[in-house]
Amino acid sequence: MHEALVSYLYNEATAEESRRVESHIAECRACAEEMAAFERVRGMLQQWQLDDMPIVRVVASPPRRSALAVLKELFSITPLWAKALGAMAMAMLVLAVMGTEISVGRDGFSMRADLLRRNQPAQAVSAGDTRIADNAMSSVNVEQVRADLRAYVNDLILASERQQKEELNAQLVSLESQLQNMHAADLAKLATRIQEHQARLKTIERDIDRREGSDLTDILFSDVLSKPDARSNVLAEKGSD
Amino acid sequence: MKRMEGLSSDRWRDSELELSDTQIIERTLGGEPDAFNMLVRRWERQIYGLTLRMLGRDDEAKDATQETFLSAYRNLSKFRGEAKFSSWIYRIALNICNTKLRGRAKQVVSLDEQREESGFEIAADLEELGSNIQQEQVARHVRRALQGLPAEMRQVIIMKEYEGLKFSEIAEILGIPLSTVKTRMYTGLAELRKRLEHLRTAV
Repeated sequence: MHEALVSYLYNEATAEESRRVESHIAECRACAEEMAAFERVRGMLQQWQLDDMPIVRVVASPPRRSALAVLKELFSITPLWAKALGAMAMAMLVLAVMGTEISVGRDGFSMRADLLRRNQPAQAVSAGDTRIADNAMSSVNVEQVRADLRAYVNDLILASERQQKEELNAQLVSLESQLQNMHAADLAKLATRIQEHQARLKTIERDIDRREGSDLTDILFSDVLSKPDARSNVLAEKGSD
Repeated sequence: MKRMEGLSSDRWRDSELELSDTQIIERTLGGEPDAFNMLVRRWERQIYGLTLRMLGRDDEAKDATQETFLSAYRNLSKFRGEAKFSSWIYRIALNICNTKLRGRAKQVVSLDEQREESGFEIAADLEELGSNIQQEQVARHVRRALQGLPAEMRQVIIMKEYEGLKFSEIAEILGIPLSTVKTRMYTGLAELRKRLEHLRTAV
């Protein structure tokens, strides 16, 4: 009986079980009380609702990032001026290590690595330009070097800005085309779905047409007519009317 | 009777616009590991609800929910599709809860922790105090009463009452006969009646 009672309580009882439980409850006061009490317990259980739901995210497969990728990302979020400064610092460092000679001549500002010069000493001398070794640079030249350096840095900044703009533009274009592709795919999906629905609607319409075609009484009494007893009742009622 | 979560959401899951659980699993196994997050989003509420009511502690429930989905992900290839995914993941969650409960039984719990474990914190927000206070109080008693039940009764009641599962589904998840499920439900309700009857006037 307990099992049937529980099934009945949760609307899972079969018709047979329901009849059994109902007739039992009608006679057995203890069970009737128990059912009422269980209903109350269920009401109380429902008072405990949860409002704080955690957001669980299982990172399915954390992408392993290489050191290069991390560096790239770091570089991409670094402000422009920092990039320029960094580039300059790097350049200076490299130049210093290589023992570079900075020279200013008629043909403009030029730098030459000691390494290269040592490899090609004859060429450097034979060029015969007005190269001035950095340790012997005059104060006038220092000013000029500064001005040139400033111009050089400005050029660098401009170039990198331009490059970034170009990259951004390229990214935008590719994003746009991706979006368009997605839209197209979505539209195609929607179109097929609409077609499906239209087809379904048509069949439903056809069904309705067929029904309208048939006699109204056929539909109204289709259930009744199948049962001879009920039919006679209906006929009897009709007769009395 | 209000049902806040559970399998009653079958209808939307089966709608054309949604992938079925099995389809998502196929995608995940077919080299789209991110697809699994769809399953997580779909089932995290239920799993969290189940684990919280089984364990009675929010932090443990969150851990158990995480562990459940991780375990499901790791063992996804073992899911054969004979049972519903929901049954499978409920079973994983219950196993994790039971392990935690067994571990807890071995621990010496301090009095403070016991007190913390036994109920809600008192509502600090004054606005909540009006009509909510009664519900909060009842909920606190319910929580305590449920925690006092043996785990095998508690899990049946939780799955029936809060997850809205059918008795046959619960039997499948627990791997026990249908009649045993119903008997546990009956005994559990009778036990809760004893523990909660004094609140009768409050509801």
